[in-house]
Amino acid sequence: MVEAPNSALSAAERRRITGALGRDPTTVELYAFDAQWSEHCSYKSSRHHLRRLPVQSPDVILGPGEDAGVLHLGEHNGERYGVVVAHESHNHPSQVVPFEGAATGVGGIVRDVLCMGAEVIGIADALRFGDVSNPDSHQRHVAQAAVDGISAYGNAIGVPNLAGDVYFHEGFNENCLINVIALGLVKEREIVHSFAPPQSAGWPILLVGKATDASGFGGASFSSLSLDNQNESTNKGAVQVPDPFLKNVMMRATYRVFGLLRERGVTVACKDLGAGGVIGCSAEICASGGFGARIQLDRLNVAQEGLPPEVLAVGETQERLLFVLPPDAVDDVIRVYNEEFSLPEIAYNARAAVIGEVTREKRYVLTHRGEIVMDVDIEFLTAAPPAPKQLASERPTEERSRRPVIPSEVEGPLQGLSLLLSSLDACSREPLYRRYDGVVRGCTVIPRGYADAGVIAPVPGSPLGVAVAVAGNPRYGAIDARRAAEDAVAEAVSKVVAVGARPIGLTDCLNFGNPNDPQHYGEFVAAVDGLEHAARERGLPFVSGNVSFYNENSSGKAIPASAIVSCIGVLDDVARIVTPALKQPGSAIVLVDDGETVRRAVEEGIVRACCAVSGGDPLVAIARMAFAAMQDGRALGAELTSTGYATPEAGGFLVEAAGHVEGAIVGLVIDRSTIILGEERVSVPDLLHSWRKPLQRIYP
Amino acid sequence: MLVFPGTNSEDETLRLLRAYGAEAELVHWSRWQTLAQYHAYVLAGGFAYEDRIRAGAIAARDAMMEPVIDGASRGKLVLGVCNGAQILLEAGLVPGGSDGQATAAFTRNAPSGHFICTLVYVKLAVAPQRSAITASLEPGCVMPAWAAHAEGRLAAQSKAIGAIVDGEHVTFVYARADGIVDDAANPNGSALYCAGLVNREGNVLAIMPHPERVYPQHSPLFESFVKAVAAS
Repeated sequence: MVEAPNSALSAAERRRITGALGRDPTTVELYAFDAQWSEHCSYKSSRHHLRRLPVQSPDVILGPGEDAGVLHLGEHNGERYGVVVAHESHNHPSQVVPFEGAATGVGGIVRDVLCMGAEVIGIADALRFGDVSNPDSHQRHVAQAAVDGISAYGNAIGVPNLAGDVYFHEGFNENCLINVIALGLVKEREIVHSFAPPQSAGWPILLVGKATDASGFGGASFSSLSLDNQNESTNKGAVQVPDPFLKNVMMRATYRVFGLLRERGVTVACKDLGAGGVIGCSAEICASGGFGARIQLDRLNVAQEGLPPEVLAVGETQERLLFVLPPDAVDDVIRVYNEEFSLPEIAYNARAAVIGEVTREKRYVLTHRGEIVMDVDIEFLTAAPPAPKQLASERPTEERSRRPVIPSEVEGPLQGLSLLLSSLDACSREPLYRRYDGVVRGCTVIPRGYADAGVIAPVPGSPLGVAVAVAGNPRYGAIDARRAAEDAVAEAVSKVVAVGARPIGLTDCLNFGNPNDPQHYGEFVAAVDGLEHAARERGLPFVSGNVSFYNENSSGKAIPASAIVSCIGVLDDVARIVTPALKQPGSAIVLVDDGETVRRAVEEGIVRACCAVSGGDPLVAIARMAFAAMQDGRALGAELTSTGYATPEAGGFLVEAAGHVEGAIVGLVIDRSTIILGEERVSVPDLLHSWRKPLQRIYP
Repeated sequence: MLVFPGTNSEDETLRLLRAYGAEAELVHWSRWQTLAQYHAYVLAGGFAYEDRIRAGAIAARDAMMEPVIDGASRGKLVLGVCNGAQILLEAGLVPGGSDGQATAAFTRNAPSGHFICTLVYVKLAVAPQRSAITASLEPGCVMPAWAAHAEGRLAAQSKAIGAIVDGEHVTFVYARADGIVDDAANPNGSALYCAGLVNREGNVLAIMPHPERVYPQHSPLFESFVKAVAAS
């Protein structure tokens, strides 16, 4: 049998393929199955668990299954609007080539939203880096270059970065996590789907974008193996090359194309080229419509001649989209891309070109130089068999029972606060996110860092708002995967509630170790349990998600269990946002443990300020409320009356109340920039100084 | 409004111009031949031509700029924001020398050298009548705007800096919200705390931070610009 280097196919899977074909697969077929049956494309080890997650609610317009989910935002001028949301990881590429890996992570997630017929309105990122204390370490380089990659890409395409978080933990030294979320805006009746429409037999398949090159070859299986199992140069070749300049133009051209198609009233399908390249995308778009496809590889626009057919077929060259559209619309669409937006002049040989057609016969046929190089049953190709039953076991108890160590030199809570605020876990993230454009598009109501969640008003002329936040604390994950996942849901939801929004949906990215290792797999299963429980408890659906396995170090130790969750919320009127900034001396500061109470108080208009208690420490939240007041030009502080915080481990809120809010009153807002607790007092400007500094060392 | 390949702020800029009553539209690069017919030009933010070589360097030499340079010499009003401002400097339209060559640049931020996105305030540093575009502003007014750039620091040789000062070209300076101008308010180390420059004749204005990104959208500068266009 032909060998694909770095193949992620098992021997049993190979036998199955040979059996079904009745012959040995061709080289192209082998690469195609390697990609399509990879964990990354097929979710073969995770899908039966993911089915347990709740995916429905009255707010869901489109649940998981296509490139992105859609939630109901609200109505404006009689039109129903949806928020499109997608969430993915780009971990392995970012560990190997962090700038390009992280940048293409943004590029890929943006296309997932774009292809739904949506305008891309925001991104968010959840980053997990290793121990960065040594300036010369690779993990320090990863932490810096990945942020620069996200910044370079997001800024250039003109999409604001609205939310995110970052943690530094030695468990990520050899395997960072780059999770990215993208948001889009679409009118409900204008959603574009990623399956070939019912009448589309014989319709052309149009490939749009960058000329296919040899980059990103083997990317799907690359992310479905551990990094150390692979050869470094092959790894680098598997990373895609970003071109945000081309993407900027393609996005705008695609908005124009969708507008044109809507004017003509035609239904089309559109899908992003991601894992598995041309084959992955064209096979899925046709198979999910109940059709087959015939593609001529010679019609691809290429960056160089002589690329082997398997590279043309499964290479993951970035910045490409695929359309299935009626024959009489093709010329106009090509004209928009190639002439009006002059793609061929923007990047070498970039263009829109017909590469094949939808077929009634459910085969997937590829030709190259007049010869058939692939001819398989399209459903067999796109429906990977489930992985053999994997064993799931728990982590050893001694690891799970680890408890945090409280430094002994701390004399009082406020001295502890100062230490906490200057730790990498709790310090200001501003040096990082100020490298991201957070306000392009001119509709950012709460920029990143000003509150627990970012808020935008994406519909021009409408007060409707979208809030977004992410969470997933790896320190919890290192102890207990299930509780960490529950906490991730709780924290993401709390952050959205804290800005006055109504949470309507969740996304998840599950980053774990090797699914064939019972302990690693056990953590994944436990995390799904936790997500399911926490989401059902709140009546919230998951509308998009992603699983990333094989995140481990060279000795086979998995990263801390990392279920990373984002929460989307809506506001009927962005004029009613709540920020964490203290407002009024004399008002009570109330510790509230549940989001419903906060929601009611917001509705009643008695919340002057609110901050979610994340990481379990209300003192940090108090400090952040005072910092936010300073940022608004108000020198305010707090006199705290209680030290006996029965802090809920997950979530909880501090509310500056303008009336009765159910909870424990823990202090009062005072008209000095000081935090007072019993005999102890600290100056807010001093705290601010220590809070701002630590990350400046990494992001000067 | 000119849209170069790589421009990324065209929609919100257009929205604000229209909110003040301007009859404005986007003109993409493939339609550059139609530009001459317009009465005024706006260059929005972004990364035109990927900011290759230097921010604005390629766009300034693009065919798109020919009608703008020609129109500016005949008194048409031109406003450039952020990347648009960088393009105007690269094209030599502001601060403006005798031979149409660039005499100053908005260059790499100092000391960080990195892109920064941060809320700033800009203060009108000349008499409003110095430029038709600022004529409706209050003297010394302070306005919020978002700095979002990697190359926004005004730099020039000392002779050129002297000419910029003598010619009253610095229209806007970075300031605190209360109008105090100091180093702490200067986000990128810009010479003369400069946030915006105007040409000698006052019809071409380049401003680095984005007034159009403040939410809810509201900009006395854009309002004044639209009034000036209507009167021109």
